[in-house]
Order: sequence, then C-alpha cells, then structure tokens
Amino acid sequence: MSTDSSNGGTLSIRHAGKIYDPDGSNVVALDDVTFEIKAKEFCVIVGPSGCGKTTLLNAIAGFDQLTAGQILLDGELLTSPGKRLLPGADRMVVFQQGALFPWKTVLWNVTCGPIQQGRMSRREAERHATHLLARVGLTSIENQYPGELSGGMKRRVEIVRALMNDPKILLLDEPFRALDALTKSVVQEYLLELYDLTPKTVFFITHDIEEAAFLADRVVIMTTRPGRVMKIVNVDIERPRNHQVLTTPHFLRIENEVREAIHDEARKAFEAGERELA
Amino acid sequence: MTTATTRSLIAKDKQATGARLRRWIVGLWNLNLLLGVISIGTLGLLWEYAQPLGIPGVRNVPAPSEVVSASAKLLRSRLYWEGWMLSVQRITLGFLAAQIVGIPLGLMMAMHRNSFDTMFPIVEILRPIPPVAWIPVSIIFWPTRELSVVFIVFLGALWIVLLNTIGGASNVDQNYKRAALSLGSTQRDLFWRIILPATIPSIVTGMAVGMGIAWEMVIAAEMIAGRTGLGYLLWQSFEINALAQVIVCMVSIGIAGYISSGIIRQLGGFAAPWQRQH
Amino acid sequence: MAQLIATAPTAIGDAGAVNVPWNVRLRRLLRSRRPYLALLGIIAFFLAWYLLVDVLRFWRFRELPGFVASVREWINPNPVYGVSLFTAEYYNHMWASVYRVFVAFLCATGLGISIGILMGWRRIFYGLTFPILELLRPIPILAWIPLAIILLPGRELPIIGLTFLAAFFVTILNTLLGVKSIDPVYFRAARSLGFSQTAILFHVIVPGALPYIFVGLQIAMGACWFSLVASEIVSGQAGLGYKVWEAYYYVQFETMVIIMATLGFLGYVSSALVRMVGNRLMRWRARILAGV
Repeated sequence: MSTDSSNGGTLSIRHAGKIYDPDGSNVVALDDVTFEIKAKEFCVIVGPSGCGKTTLLNAIAGFDQLTAGQILLDGELLTSPGKRLLPGADRMVVFQQGALFPWKTVLWNVTCGPIQQGRMSRREAERHATHLLARVGLTSIENQYPGELSGGMKRRVEIVRALMNDPKILLLDEPFRALDALTKSVVQEYLLELYDLTPKTVFFITHDIEEAAFLADRVVIMTTRPGRVMKIVNVDIERPRNHQVLTTPHFLRIENEVREAIHDEARKAFEAGERELA
Repeated sequence: MTTATTRSLIAKDKQATGARLRRWIVGLWNLNLLLGVISIGTLGLLWEYAQPLGIPGVRNVPAPSEVVSASAKLLRSRLYWEGWMLSVQRITLGFLAAQIVGIPLGLMMAMHRNSFDTMFPIVEILRPIPPVAWIPVSIIFWPTRELSVVFIVFLGALWIVLLNTIGGASNVDQNYKRAALSLGSTQRDLFWRIILPATIPSIVTGMAVGMGIAWEMVIAAEMIAGRTGLGYLLWQSFEINALAQVIVCMVSIGIAGYISSGIIRQLGGFAAPWQRQH
Repeated sequence: MAQLIATAPTAIGDAGAVNVPWNVRLRRLLRSRRPYLALLGIIAFFLAWYLLVDVLRFWRFRELPGFVASVREWINPNPVYGVSLFTAEYYNHMWASVYRVFVAFLCATGLGISIGILMGWRRIFYGLTFPILELLRPIPILAWIPLAIILLPGRELPIIGLTFLAAFFVTILNTLLGVKSIDPVYFRAARSLGFSQTAILFHVIVPGALPYIFVGLQIAMGACWFSLVASEIVSGQAGLGYKVWEAYYYVQFETMVIIMATLGFLGYVSSALVRMVGNRLMRWRARILAGV
C-alpha cells in the first residue's frame, strides 16, 4: 500500500456499532452506521449532541474501539472489534478543545509532525510551515506560544499543523465551536482555501447547519440514541466558495433541506436529555 | 446486511462486550493489587531476611517478626497509650490555635488591601524560618514544656493555614460578588454568604497540609524537648537500643497521622458539600 | 510524612509583570502605598520586639533575647559568644548546612522527578511503587531519625539522608500529580502527529508536568531545611541547627537569634532560586498569565 497520500484516502465505514456499557446501562452510541467518504471528499457530519459523532471520529482515529463493524482506509482495516488500536499520522485529528502544546512555540507545534516522523528536515519543515502560516494570514507569530494567540489564530495554527502532517484523512471535531460568529466565518474561508490548495479527505463534525452546508461536498445527518445515519445530502455548489455563497437561493435550499431533516431529531434528543435529567 | 441482522449481532455483541469490559476492569484491579502485593511482599521478605542475606544497614534493623512481638508487648503498656493521648492532645490544641489565629487573620488580610500590605512582609520574613528552629525560643518563653510543644505545633500549622485562607479568599470569583451585590446584599451578607463559603475548600486544603506538618512538629518537639508523648517514646526507645520498639512507634505515628488527615477530609466534605464529588 | 501536596500550580512567580520593564515597575511601586505600608509593618514588628523585651520587660518576654543586643552581637567583630558576621565559625556552620541541603535536594530532585514520571508513565511501575509510597508517606520524616542513624554509616550521611527523604516524597508525589494532570488530549494529539514513545516523554510528559513539579520543588526545599534543622539538633556536630541548640544549651540567646535569622534568610533565598529556575523553564506559562 502506498504511503503517498496524494492519491488515496477513501474511508469506508461498514456497519459500525458502539455500545457503552459502564454499568449495564447499554447506551447505543452507534448502530449500524454505514457510509463511504471518497478520496479528497469534504464530508461533514451533523447531528444533535450525543448522536455518536465524536465516538465515530475516535474510532477512525484509533483512540477508541468499536463493538461491531469495521472501518477501512483505502481498503486497509483500521478499526474493528478485537483489533489493536493504532492511532497514526495518516489520520490527523483537530480536537474540539484545541491541542496545541502550550509549552512549545507555534513553529515547534506546526513542524513537530513531519520532523518527528523523519519525513522532513527541520529547515524544510520550517520553510513549509512559514509558507502555510502565511497562507492563512499568520505571519511573524512563529516564536510565540499558543497561549499568546487569540482563539481564531489558534484554530488556524492547528489546521496548519494538521496539514503539515500530510494525513490521508483530516478529522476535525467541531473545531470552530468556541469561536464567535465573525471569527468563525473568516477561519472557515481559510480552511476552504487550504482545502482547495491541497485537497484531502476531510471528516468534519459540527452541529452548525450553515457551516455544514458551506464547507461540505456531502452532509451526513445522524440521529441520536441510537446513532444512525439518517440522511445524506449532496452539496453541489462549485468550489472555490466564499461567504457570498451563503445568500444564494441554491445554498439556502440545501441548508434548509439539512435543517428540516435535523430539526425533529434535535427536538427528540433534547427531550430525551430532559427526561434523563428529571 | 440488513438492520435486523445487525441488531441481533449487536445484541450478542452487547453481552460479549459487557462481559469483556467487566473482566477487563476486574483484571486491572487485580493487576494493581497483585503488583502491590508483590512489591510490598518482596520488601517485607528482604527486610525479614536481611540478616542472613547480609544486606548492609538493613541487617541492623530488627526483622518484622521481632517488631510484631515487640508491638504485642508495647501495646499492653500504659506508657504507650499515655503517649498517644498526650501527642493527640498537643496536636489538637496547637492545631486549633492555628485555625483560630490563622483563618480570621487570613480573611482580614484578604479583604483589606492595607492590612495585607502591612502584615504580609512580616509573614514572609518569619515563614522561611523552619519551625523546628523555634523550639529553643519556645522553651525559653513558655512557662511549661507542655505549652512550648503546643506552641511549636501551632507555629508549624499556622503559615500554611494563613496562606491558604488568604489565597482562597482573594480568589473568590468577582462575578459571585457582583451577583450578590446586584441582588441587594450588604457587605455583611457578602462576607458571610459569599466570601466565607467560597474560601472553605481552600481552608480545608490548608488544614489537611497543616495537619501533616503539625504531626512533624509534635514529633520533633517531643523528641527534642519533651518528656512524654509518642515522639519522646520513639527517641527513648532508640536511646535504650530497643529498635523493634522504635519501629512500632514509627508505625503508630503513621497511623495517627493517617487518621487525623482522614478526619480533616471528612470535616471538609461536611463543611463544603458541593465540593464532595471532586 | 506530611501530605505536602501542591494545591494549585498557579502560585509560581509574579508572572503578571514580565512584560513591564523594571524601572517602570519600580516607579509604579514607589508611587503606590505598598512599600510604605510594608516598611510600617516591619518597623512595627521589630519595635514591638524591642519594647516587649527590652523596655517593658513584660511577663515572660524578659526571658527572651533582645532585639538590640542580638543585632549588636551579629555585627560585632568581637562577638561575646563567638558567632557574628565577622567570625569564621558562623560561615562554617552555614556552609555545613548549605552543603547538606544542596546535596540532599539535588539527589531528591533527580530521583524524585524520574521516579514520579516513570510512575505516571508506566502502569506496571506505578502498581509496584505506589503502595510502598502510600505505606511510608504518613510516617513523619523526623520519626525516621533513629532508623536513619542505624541504616546509614557515619554522622554526615544520616543527616543528608533525612533531608533527602523529606524532599524525595514531596517531589515524587507532585511529579506524579503533574503527569496525571496533563490533559489526555495532548497524548492523543501526539499519537496523531506520529510521536514515538520517547518523543511523548520529552515533549509532552516532562513539560506538561513541569508546573506541578516546580510547586513540588518549592515545597520540597522548605521540607529540606525543616528536616535538616531537626536532624542537626538531634545528631549533628556542625550546622545551623546544631548551633541553634548549642546556643540555647549554653544560654547564648543572642547567637540563637542570629542563627534563626540566618536560617530564614537561607530558606528564602533557596526557594527564590527554585522559583527563578522554574520561571526560566516555563516562560510559556509566564507569557500566558501576562496575556490574560
């Protein structure tokens, strides 16, 4: 199997199931989830809280085990019950809460992946990193620490770090959740710019419907408890896209289709949550 | 595969996973237990057979079996229980005095900037002097030995209680105070209902650490200047070369310290019930 | 052993002020009330000492060494009791104590941090060592004095050993706490970035645990001095703890005050050194705190 990620990156999720059973409560987080993400496709997963999105991401990343089914990347088995978990650099994760090492400078954070894997020399990695950082509007912050950056800057650095790693598939777990609306739209555009520059398979989790429709080639809508695939919506808007797309009737129609599908689910999930608390 | 068959597969898998998980937890628990037994057992055996094995240093220490028989003798003596009583009494008095002085002083220093600026430098000058070095002064000053030991215990616990109270009370979330003020509370309410309760967890932490230091102090003071108590008994046993008895005393002091910090923890849970889960 | 565990690693340094140049900071300080109140407090303390002991000779206070007499003895080239800033004996005792603390602290830091990190990193090692630690920890350090004298040869080693022990437990526990406090997301990120186990150790575990380690080291330094003085009193032949007790024994009370002040000074300087090293190694934290 080729290690060159420029071709490849097809992710198949087959009958994935996950049951949490800490004390016999049997919470079905994932139930028979089956879909495929084509190579270099930008796939966004939406669904109400607790629909197993993050569980699925953890299984793909190799942090967590499935209890049924399998996940394959380019035909190679990644995760299935009983298989040893192996997180790897071919599936780079951008975490919800952010995971830049606060004790290292921005430059170290961004270059550590290729350097640690021995794929690039320090000099090469640094040149590449500076270039990518500039691409997302970040210059002369290389020697600062993550703690000194704003939320939007941190997210951009994190995306650059993930791309520097040159993964086959990029996994993003609600990366823009903590950002305010204005910053969010700017960072989204930067993400799309980078995606257009070096297309990769992307697995992006959110529960922001507008964000989903804006970024995705395909939106996968999931239900909650049990987590299942409810509907898959194709987004046939041409790339490159910018925020002007957001007001076109075509975009609004797609966004509405997603919203309609997800609304009842969200209400159900909300009520289930209320019942649980009561 | 249809959903129905998956469902049945999952059902089967569910039981299997539950059982596997339970087995794994049990296994883990046993692993830690096993490792603990191995390490402590090995240590105990090395200690017991140090003499025949000729381990330097340790072979001069009485073996566990001797310690056990010595403890049987010591536990029946009045001197030993008197020692317990007196040490506990000194701890209680000194420790309580440290709370009575330290908590109000700390609260005052935290709430009035000027009193903090005036008094804190002196605290910083006196605090680095090891409390043990106060023993001679304490003997000179106090009319009885009993009082001088209690004073040393007091001094040992005082600083940490004071610092924790100051730290806790000055770190109360500004929003709580603002919320209380906008709900119409007076300065008095603010102190009794906001600042004091919010400081309790930090006070309890200070008490827990202070209790540990208090035991160090009482042992030091009794060894150096006392004529009774567990610390004195320990030193006396050493002077008459009753080494097994020394170890019994050490273990007793350890148990006493363990019990007293347990009591503090219970008190903490009682005084700050909202903190219990953490 | 005392439960000397760090409460929160935020206590390190006056990090909020790093970006302001020192002369601006000084000017700001002098314009505020703080230095004058501090001076007032310190003067009040020494005045109270003077009045109670020398002037009023109130109650038991008349037994204590006076402030003026102690200072006079300290700066006397020909001290009455043989110890002052101008005598070699003073520095000999000081050197003996500083040397012991230095050796003990260094050993405790090296061993304590390595063991603590190993405990946080390797489950088996944790399982093997933690029960022993928990078993020994509740025993106060000073209760080990007799055993230390039996176990270790000579007069010097038992004292260093006890001083070491005091710092050792504190360092291990705080290091362990530091490793456990690292957000698991950093480990996941490191795995995703393709870090090797050694890279995880040096780039995630060690720097991540550092804040707690340094709080632990500060506490350990205090514990070192404390157990040093106690063991010198009990079994020393030189050192500040020994001298404090000897001065008491021969009723040289002014010398006692000098030694106590010296202990306070050395204790302060040594923990300030630890703090400085900590701030130097954790500049990323200082800048974060300053940015907030």
